Amino acid sequence: MNIFVCVKRVPDTSEAEIKIDETGRDVDSSRFSFDINDADNYAVEEAIRIKEARGGNVQVICAGPQDADVMIRMALAKGGDSAVRIDDPRINKNDPLQMAKVLAAYIKEQEYDLVMTGCMANDNWFMATGVALAEELGVPHAAMVNQVEFLDGKVKAHRELEGGLSEVVEMELPAVLTIQTGINEPRYAPIRGIRAAQKKELKVLNLDDLGISEEEVSENSSLIELQKLYIPEVVSKAEFIEGEPEEKAQIMADKLVKGGLL
Amino acid sequence: MSDVFVLAEHRQGELRDITLEMLTLANGVAEKLGGNTVAVLLGSGVDSFAEKVSGYSDKVLYIDDPLFEDYNSEKYQRVLAALLDDYKPTLLMVGHTTQGVDMAPALAVEKQLPFISDVFEFEFEDGKPIPVRQFYGGKVNANVAFKGDPPYLATIREASVEVGEPSKQGSVEKIDSPLKEDIDYRRFIEYIEAEVGDVDITQSEILVAVGRGVREDKNMPMVEELAQVLKADLCGSRAATDAGWLPHDRQVGTSGKTVKPKLYLAIGISGAFQHLAGMKGAKTIVAINKDPEAPIFAEADYGIVDDLFKVVPVLTEKLKELKG
Amino acid sequence: METELQSFIEKYDLLGCIQCGRCTGGCPVTVRTNLNVRRFVYDSLDEDILEELANLPEIWDCTACSTCAVRCPKGLKPLEVLIGLRGILVEGGRVQPTVRDALESVFREGNPWDKPRAARCDWMKDLDVRIAEPGEAVENLIFVCCTIVYDPKLQVIAQNLVRILNKAGVDFAFIGEDETCCGSEVHNLGEEGLFEMLVEDNTELLNSFNAKRMVTISPHCYTAFKNEHPDLKMEVVHYTQLVGELLEDKKLELTREVPQRIVFHDPCFLGKQNHVFDEPRYILGNIPGAELVEFDRCRERSLCCEGGGGKMWVETESTKERLSDTRVKDARALEAGILAVACPFCELTLDDSVKAKGFEEEMRVAEILEILGEAIED
Ligand SMILES: Cc1cc2nc3c(=O)[nH]c(=O)nc-3n(C[C@H](O)[C@H](O)[C@H](O)COP(=O)(O)OP(=O)(O)OC[C@H]3O[C@@H](n4cnc5c(N)ncnc54)[C@H](O)[C@@H]3O)c2cc1C
Ligand code: SF4
Ligand code: SF4
Repeated sequence: MNIFVCVKRVPDTSEAEIKIDETGRDVDSSRFSFDINDADNYAVEEAIRIKEARGGNVQVICAGPQDADVMIRMALAKGGDSAVRIDDPRINKNDPLQMAKVLAAYIKEQEYDLVMTGCMANDNWFMATGVALAEELGVPHAAMVNQVEFLDGKVKAHRELEGGLSEVVEMELPAVLTIQTGINEPRYAPIRGIRAAQKKELKVLNLDDLGISEEEVSENSSLIELQKLYIPEVVSKAEFIEGEPEEKAQIMADKLVKGGLL
Repeated sequence: MSDVFVLAEHRQGELRDITLEMLTLANGVAEKLGGNTVAVLLGSGVDSFAEKVSGYSDKVLYIDDPLFEDYNSEKYQRVLAALLDDYKPTLLMVGHTTQGVDMAPALAVEKQLPFISDVFEFEFEDGKPIPVRQFYGGKVNANVAFKGDPPYLATIREASVEVGEPSKQGSVEKIDSPLKEDIDYRRFIEYIEAEVGDVDITQSEILVAVGRGVREDKNMPMVEELAQVLKADLCGSRAATDAGWLPHDRQVGTSGKTVKPKLYLAIGISGAFQHLAGMKGAKTIVAINKDPEAPIFAEADYGIVDDLFKVVPVLTEKLKELKG
Repeated sequence: METELQSFIEKYDLLGCIQCGRCTGGCPVTVRTNLNVRRFVYDSLDEDILEELANLPEIWDCTACSTCAVRCPKGLKPLEVLIGLRGILVEGGRVQPTVRDALESVFREGNPWDKPRAARCDWMKDLDVRIAEPGEAVENLIFVCCTIVYDPKLQVIAQNLVRILNKAGVDFAFIGEDETCCGSEVHNLGEEGLFEMLVEDNTELLNSFNAKRMVTISPHCYTAFKNEHPDLKMEVVHYTQLVGELLEDKKLELTREVPQRIVFHDPCFLGKQNHVFDEPRYILGNIPGAELVEFDRCRERSLCCEGGGGKMWVETESTKERLSDTRVKDARALEAGILAVACPFCELTLDDSVKAKGFEEEMRVAEILEILGEAIED
């Protein structure tokens, strides 16, 4: 089975203070730490497990800067066979549909049975790239997948729905799956393995290599426009609930039930 | 024209909350645009849903067809594509739910729609709706505008608006399905309920976590009852698992499990660094602790500074009442 | 496999073992787990079962206290066999998620706590401290430690060191955000490749500073830099040695009373492994009003607190009493008001046990630097 798995390098902003930069349309990322996107990491693991169980080949695809190479090497150390990094500043990073176009431009020229992406990127939370990619490729897809089975030319994907329910869908191959975190337990990439993975092929391509024009994937031609970023007023400090114990319990119960927290 | 379409969402015989939430939001947008709110309902024998959504919309387009017994993104996509051509609304709203995210991006690509996902509110500029969404785990808001011509497509975040009482009486119009035959390259097989029994707290959506503040084994039934009402799983700090109140595999922290539930209720947990490391990824954290200085409050979204033995039983009762 | 086997036998000198059992006999964790380190030394001779041995959960029970190595009459390091077995799992990527995350965090961010490097100096906010510049001369280069910089409960240790060194007029500087994990726990978790990388990078980084000596706060960093960095061009000391010196030279004076009975818990990585026994006692003995008492099991025989050897990320599944619980009970029996420690891990384990045993009213756990903070005037 020929599997392509798309990975993205994202900042970990869970503990960082975020500052909007002077353009007002981006954040100052100089003090962020970066890593492979969480869900993508699970997708890589799943791809490698499928390969280990059924044979085949896993290719890692990443659209991103050179800094992403470490993360790509880690995926190769775990069992990926080769990698492609698409690096071109002309690509609009704020439109998942354009990103899908870029990825599709590469993948559709390859022989593939399965394409996997994470179901969501931790930075922009679009949850759109994988499904858009399937449409670009003209193949079926399933989003939020937390279990995969294969049977003669078909894939059975379990989609994780709200409230612990799963929906099982069956699709013809090739297909695109967007992978949910928790589908497996990603392995560790030992440093010696990462070093050894330096020998595996990592191609770097730009838009010209892919044969797409700037027009198709640049900000100008996007159908959406990021106007401005701003820090929401609600600060993340705890809201303390006041009153007698019973009142506190009542207020909290209300918040839980009516605030959609359950 | 100028209408706002909303794709009604339902599953296993239940209309999902997101539907009325979207309609509520849509009514506000449609008013500004000077158009109508139109609910699109695809299903088989779901007349009662048609009725329900009509209370929140000006019109309901209802396709009643066994082909829509169960959700299938490919079928929905085809129908919506056809409806967009026929009706040309300004905006189509789809839930930013496991159904919506499985379909909307593909529809956007197919129909070349300006598309923005995970929207929780709309601002207006020159009479045009500007979706507002978030980046970086909710730490940054973003106004993202549609460019080009409608129809526009947005997926709407759950629980972004409160739904009021029904205020409209839309007409229900049954229409023919543009989809004439079944689709074979993606088929719905079945729903599988989560297995009860072995709990894996790393997958839990709601967690009630206990710490040393619970004091004794004999106090556990009190928190177990709370967990039950919340449909939550129980977990704890190392102090709780060490004391044997919970099995070891329920320990959260650096030497336990890393959990990412939607809701984490920390009861009698101080919030040591080794514990916080395992649960800071929770979406909403509620902490009950009698010590106002407990570090857990630095991570919490809601804090209750009080004796847990006074708060927890009442909380359980109130939740029971509210949930009926 | 042949060469790997040879390296296993040779690397750990397995053939030198006479199966006397002194290692297991002294191993502190045997009272609560199945670990029998002598057996592992013996069984590892068989190449075919290394994998199998690596899958036994008890290899993770070892705290790397080194008692076995100290006691071995043949000079073997039995614990290293267990670490070698952990390494087999590491190289196969098959470690538990907590260990995986800790190791990945060291690789990416230079600390095992999954904290951003950018936050490494947050603890020194509002303090007047110098960050060392490459090439610029400095007497004492301070290496703080990942656990102390990030755990809010422990940051006071480093903050107090700043107060004390300022008061004594010592020339010192910190490494800043570039400070990177010493690798002690990385080695103990079996990630040799990462450990080698850290040693290389840290040696280069630290040698770029023109420092006379490096002062470590954690005994784990102390051991790593002193014993595992052969190319480091500076003396490495533990802070108790520096502070002891300052007291001796009367550069530092302790003027405020701490009227408490204090018992000192020797950290394995300071005492057993590096024979620093006297300096901590000298410091504590100089604290006005304090009465110093000793555990029965002290100095070389000190009971391990189970904080090292990767135990921060791997729980020992046992219903038997934690060694740290035993230790605080012993301290309580001595009616000590302060259980003094000189290691961040000891502070965490013992402090937890004081709470678990409900001794909070009667005693507290305090790092020597915390006590010193109370004994000096501002
Ligand atoms: C090697 C090592 C690994 C560790 N790994 C982990 C780990 O993986 N996970 C983990 O959780 N810990 C871990 N710890 C332990 C950690 O350091 C803390 O000691 C532990 O998390 C404390 O648990 P706690 O918050 O339940 O207890 P405490 O810190 O004792 O807190 C109890 C809290 O309950 C509150 N309380 C008491 N009574 C009441 C009442 N009636 N009403 C309301 N509030 C009340 C108190 O105010 C207090 O804040 C580890 C420690 C070590 C040394
Ligand atoms: S290092 Fe300590 S815990 Fe580990 S085997 Fe040796 S004596 Fe036992
Ligand atoms: S103490 Fe040394 S010689 Fe004796 S059994 Fe242990 S490893 Fe072998």
